[in-house]
Amino acid sequence: MNTPAVHCQQIHRHFGDGDTRVHVLRGIDFTAASGQITFLAGPSGCGKTTLISVIAGLLQPSSGSISLFGRDLASMPPDDAVRLRRKDIGFVFQQYHLIPALSVAENVAVPLLAASMKRRDALDQASTILDQLGLGDRLHQPPARLSGGQQQRVALARALVHQPRLVICDEPTAALDHETGHRVMELLAASAVHPDRAVLVVSHDNRIFHFADAIAHMDDGIITSIDHPNSSAAA
Amino acid sequence: MLRSDRAKCTAMILAVTFSVFLMQNQCAILASLYRMMTAQIDDVTDAPLWVMEPDTRCFEQAKPVKDGALERVRSRSGVAWAVPLLKIDTMARSDSGLLCTVTVMGVDEASMVGLPSRFRIGQPGGIRPAGTCAVDPGGYAQLFPGEPVHFPRRIRILDESLILTGMTEASAPFTGFPILHCSRATALRLNKAENRTATFIIGDFTPGANRDAVCQNITAATGLSAMDRSGFGEMARRFYNNQGVPRLFWITIAIGLLTGTAITAQTFSMFVREHTKQLAVCRVMGVTKARIIAMVLCQGLFVLSIGCAFGTGLAALTTRAAASEPFLRGIVLPPQVAAGTCAALAAITIAAITIMARRIALMDPAIVFRS
Ligand SMILES: Nc1ncnc2c1ncn2[C@@H]1O[C@H](COP(=O)(O)OP(=O)(O)OP(=O)(O)O)[C@@H](O)[C@H]1O
Ligand SMILES: [Mg+2]
Repeated sequence: MNTPAVHCQQIHRHFGDGDTRVHVLRGIDFTAASGQITFLAGPSGCGKTTLISVIAGLLQPSSGSISLFGRDLASMPPDDAVRLRRKDIGFVFQQYHLIPALSVAENVAVPLLAASMKRRDALDQASTILDQLGLGDRLHQPPARLSGGQQQRVALARALVHQPRLVICDEPTAALDHETGHRVMELLAASAVHPDRAVLVVSHDNRIFHFADAIAHMDDGIITSIDHPNSSAAA
Repeated sequence: MLRSDRAKCTAMILAVTFSVFLMQNQCAILASLYRMMTAQIDDVTDAPLWVMEPDTRCFEQAKPVKDGALERVRSRSGVAWAVPLLKIDTMARSDSGLLCTVTVMGVDEASMVGLPSRFRIGQPGGIRPAGTCAVDPGGYAQLFPGEPVHFPRRIRILDESLILTGMTEASAPFTGFPILHCSRATALRLNKAENRTATFIIGDFTPGANRDAVCQNITAATGLSAMDRSGFGEMARRFYNNQGVPRLFWITIAIGLLTGTAITAQTFSMFVREHTKQLAVCRVMGVTKARIIAMVLCQGLFVLSIGCAFGTGLAALTTRAAASEPFLRGIVLPPQVAAGTCAALAAITIAAITIMARRIALMDPAIVFRS
C-alpha cells in the first residue's frame, strides 16, 4: 500500500490550564488513504474540528505525530507548513466563509493568488472549475447573491481549484437542506476523488454516510471504530 | 475587503478628510499670521537696517525715536545711509462718514525708502505732493466697503483732508487696520498727539560691513536698538508668540491630528475585527502573515491617500477663497504644510494599523472552523 495521505499517531491535545484544562484529543490513531473519502463522525464536542485543525497544521498537537503524504508536520519549518497548506490542502467550511467583497470567480481564485499565480491565469482556472460545478454563469456575482447550496459549491470550487492532494471539509452539508447537501456531496465525490487525493469529511449527518469509503467514529477524544461501508456491503 | 463595507470606508475617508482639512486650514492661517507679524517689516525691501527705541518689540507697538537720533545713526561707521520712517496710528473718516483706525506711514520724501516694493494702482511718485497718500487693498475695502476701486478719493484724518492717489501692494497687516503710505511731511501734519518726527530709522550697511558689529556700534553710541530686517522680524515673532495667539492654533491643529487619527484608527480596528474570519480564511488557505499585514496596510493607505487628497483639495480651495478676501490676502497653503500634515496623520495611522494587522496575522487561524 502506498503512503497514506494522513497518518496520525497518538495525538493528544488539551486546552487551558489548571481547573479549566480540557483534554480534547486523547490519543488519536488515524489514517486517511489517498483515493478515498474518509468521514470523521461523532457527537458534538467530541473533538472532530480540533482533530482536523491539527491535521491541517492550524493547531499544534500537545503530543503525538502527524504526517501528511509521508512528511512529518512537527519537524517541518513553519514556512513549509504554510506552503504545504497553500499547495496541498483545500478547505470547505460549514459556513462557506466566502469573502463577500470578492466576486465568485475571485473567491475561487484566492488559493491560486495566494500561491502568487498571475491574476488572469488564476481567474481563468477558477472559471473552468466553476463551469464544471455548474456555476459558469455566476462568475462575476458577489457570493451573497447565491443560495446556500450554490455558495457551498463555490467553496468546493475554491477547495479544489489548486488541485490539492488533501481536501478537508468540516460539516460541508450542515447548513444545507437534505437535497442540496446531497447535491454538494455528489459533486464532491465526483470531482474530488482522484487516485492520489484524499478527502476528509467531518460530519454527523448520517444521511450522507453512504458517500464514505471509510468512516472513523470518534467519541470523547478517541477513535472508537472504523467502518468501511462499501466493502462491507460487498462482502 | 473595504469594498464590502462602503459606510465604514466612507466614514474613514471623511475622518481623514476632515482632519487633514482642519490641520491644513489652521496651519495656513497660522502661517499667514506669522507672516502678518512681520508684514510691514518685510515690505520694506530697500532698507535692511532697522534702528528703534529699546522698548520697541514689534512694528505695531513701536515707540518713536528721540529727535537727533537720525544724525547720530548716520554718522556711525558701517552705515551706508539712513532715513526716518514715521508711523502713526490715528482715525480716518471716509467721505461717507465711516470712522476707521488707520496706520499712517510717512516715508522720507527725498528717497521714498520705506514704501512697499510694488503698487497695484498708481506710482510711488503719486504720494509726493503734500496731502496725498496711497492705501493698501484691505484698507480700501474697509474705508469704502462694497465700492468699486477708483482714484483719486478723499478721506479725512483729524481736520486734515487727504487724497488717496493709488493702491500699494502692502502685505496684510497684523492689526487689520488700513495702511496708508504718504510722505513724512504729510504724516507730520497728522501727528498732533506726538511731537516726535520718526518712529524708526531705516537704512543700509556699507558693503562688506559686519552687520552685528555695526548694530552694536549704533547701540553703544545712541542707546537705540539696531538690528537687521531678519533680526527685527525674529523679535516681533517672539513678542507675538508670547501673547499666546499662536498657541490656540497649535491646539486646534493638535485636536485635528488627534481626532483624525483616533477616528481612522478606531474605525479601522472595528473594521478589521469584523473581518477577522475572512482574514483567518486567507491564513488557512496559505496566505502568509506578511501578506495579510500588507493587505490590511494597503487598505489603510487607500483610505489615507483619498482622505488626504480630499482634505488637501478642500483646504486649498478654502485658502484660495480666503486669499481673495482683502484682509486675509496673501494667505497660502505652503506645500510643506500640506505634505507635513498628511505625513503626520499618515505616520500615526499607519503605525496604528500595522499594530492591528500584526495582531490579526498572529491570531489562531483555526477560528474559521467555529461558527
Ligand atoms: N481553543 C479552544 N479552547 C478551549 N477549548 C476548546 C478550544 N477549541 C475547542 N475546545 C473544546 O474542545 C471540545 C471539542 O471541540 P470541537 O470543536 O473539536 O468539537 P466538534 O467535535 O467539532 O464538535 P461539533 O460537532 O459541535 O462541531 C469542545 O468541548 C470545545 O469546547
Ligand atoms: Mg466541529
